[in-house]
Amino acid sequence: MIFQFDSIQQMIEMDGHGAYVWTAVVVSLLAMLFLVLKPVISRRAVVEEIFVELEREQRLKTNQSEIG
Amino acid sequence: MNWTWFYRMGSPKWFYQTTSKMLPILLAVTASLLLVGLVWGLGFAPQDAKQGNSFRIIYLHVPASLLALAGYFLMAIAGAIGLIWRMKLSYMVMKCAAPLGAVLTFIALFTGAVWGKPTWGSYWVWDARVTSMLILLFLYLGVLALGSAFQSQDVANKASAILALVGTVNIPIIYKSVDWWFTLHQPSTIKFTEAPSMHPDMFHPLLVMILGFYCFYAVALCLAVRVEILNRERRSQWVRDVIGQADKGNRGVFR
Amino acid sequence: MGTPHAYGFWAYLLRDLSLANHRRGEVASPLVFLLMATTFIPLGIGPQSELLSSIAPGIIWVLALLTTLLSVEGLFSRDYHDGSLEQMLISPQILVMPVLGKVTAHWVVTGLPLTLFSPFLGLLLSLPSDGYLPLAVGLALGTGCLSLLASVGAALTVTLQQSALLLTLIVMPLYMPVIIFGSSVAQYGVDGLNWMEPLAALGAMLALMLALCPLAVAGILRLTTIN
Repeated sequence: MIFQFDSIQQMIEMDGHGAYVWTAVVVSLLAMLFLVLKPVISRRAVVEEIFVELEREQRLKTNQSEIG
Repeated sequence: MNWTWFYRMGSPKWFYQTTSKMLPILLAVTASLLLVGLVWGLGFAPQDAKQGNSFRIIYLHVPASLLALAGYFLMAIAGAIGLIWRMKLSYMVMKCAAPLGAVLTFIALFTGAVWGKPTWGSYWVWDARVTSMLILLFLYLGVLALGSAFQSQDVANKASAILALVGTVNIPIIYKSVDWWFTLHQPSTIKFTEAPSMHPDMFHPLLVMILGFYCFYAVALCLAVRVEILNRERRSQWVRDVIGQADKGNRGVFR
Repeated sequence: MGTPHAYGFWAYLLRDLSLANHRRGEVASPLVFLLMATTFIPLGIGPQSELLSSIAPGIIWVLALLTTLLSVEGLFSRDYHDGSLEQMLISPQILVMPVLGKVTAHWVVTGLPLTLFSPFLGLLLSLPSDGYLPLAVGLALGTGCLSLLASVGAALTVTLQQSALLLTLIVMPLYMPVIIFGSSVAQYGVDGLNWMEPLAALGAMLALMLALCPLAVAGILRLTTIN
């Protein structure tokens, strides 16, 4: 198994096909990254929401126990 | 026969806790497979005699296409399980598989188009496989659109599941008829989707990439389903325990 | 007289036909659309008859498809909103029969006129003379498939407002095989080949859909209209 190109420069150019290959690679990897990051971001939002709800309920409970 | 293991798998809590443990490993495996596969395919595999270096796009195009198709069947099966056993978790899997599959189909179409330009001279060619992939994208979009159109989550689940199944029944018919249509209109001997004859040195990195993509799909799906579980099960005690344990600064993904 | 199962079919067929009779303007408008759209084609691409005749079968089929999608939106939602769908669901007939009756009525009101119109559309688009019979026969079978598949989409979106676009999005991928084989029937006729071959495939599809679509629609209606 040998490295097919004489230099990294050559690998980027790919005998003239470089633009196509690397565009395909970059777009695909970006899309895949998006697929992994989107749940992470939504998760933060959801966890934040639930945390806020929890805190609110805690406050209500302590208020109730103070009143009662 | 004791079916409790099956019903236990349908519990969102079980899924969440199991994936919490499995995800770090799965993520590491995915990253390594994809890295190795890409470096190998882009740098070390011999170039194709006819197509030159542009054939290296295959290392993204083929795995994406495979997963796009497999993902549709996964979505439909999840929908069927949800319909038959009324399993909430199954519906959640179906719902998360839809955008995942749609993006993968887009990747397949995009890489295919970019591959087509240097190989056959144009970005878009109406050959059988490309056209079928485009129809697959439409099927995904239909399920996505239908699922988000209803007020009631329950009805949305059932409708999406049925649509996914109707699409599944149609996929073989669609594929065969597009195939027939293409041979009808392309009497020439040029075969657009003839895969380059695969030398093992070219094929092995492809296998690695396919495996890596399968693992990637699992990771992305699990991540999405976990968020869905947290969202829909927010009233339940176990979710509150999980959230309560995470203090403000440390909202880990794998907790 | 017939069995109770058959009653459901004829009863709903005749009911929908008489209801359509009361809405004659609304029912005719997809066909008027078809006629106007057919006129747009030469306006858009030029009146040269060789150009038109080479694309005539395909164009007529695409227009037939769009016309069917335009006309199917209210198939179940009208009944849903005035309560008669619920009556249909709780009646003792097997739900498949009323559904089949309604879909047949839709075909009689859309697909059948379309089939009968098609020679005229072929004339407008310079369809070669060998193409007229295959076009009409293909459309006769094909519009049946189109109505059946569209009813599945209509059932899925029955409870939604403004569902026309969503319905189109859902049903279009399912239409692809029908249009492929349907337009081939006419094209084969034009080219002098044996047009019975794609017609057989089209007939097989119609048979399959006739068996499966009403079942699917019945199940969908039960599932999506549960409050």
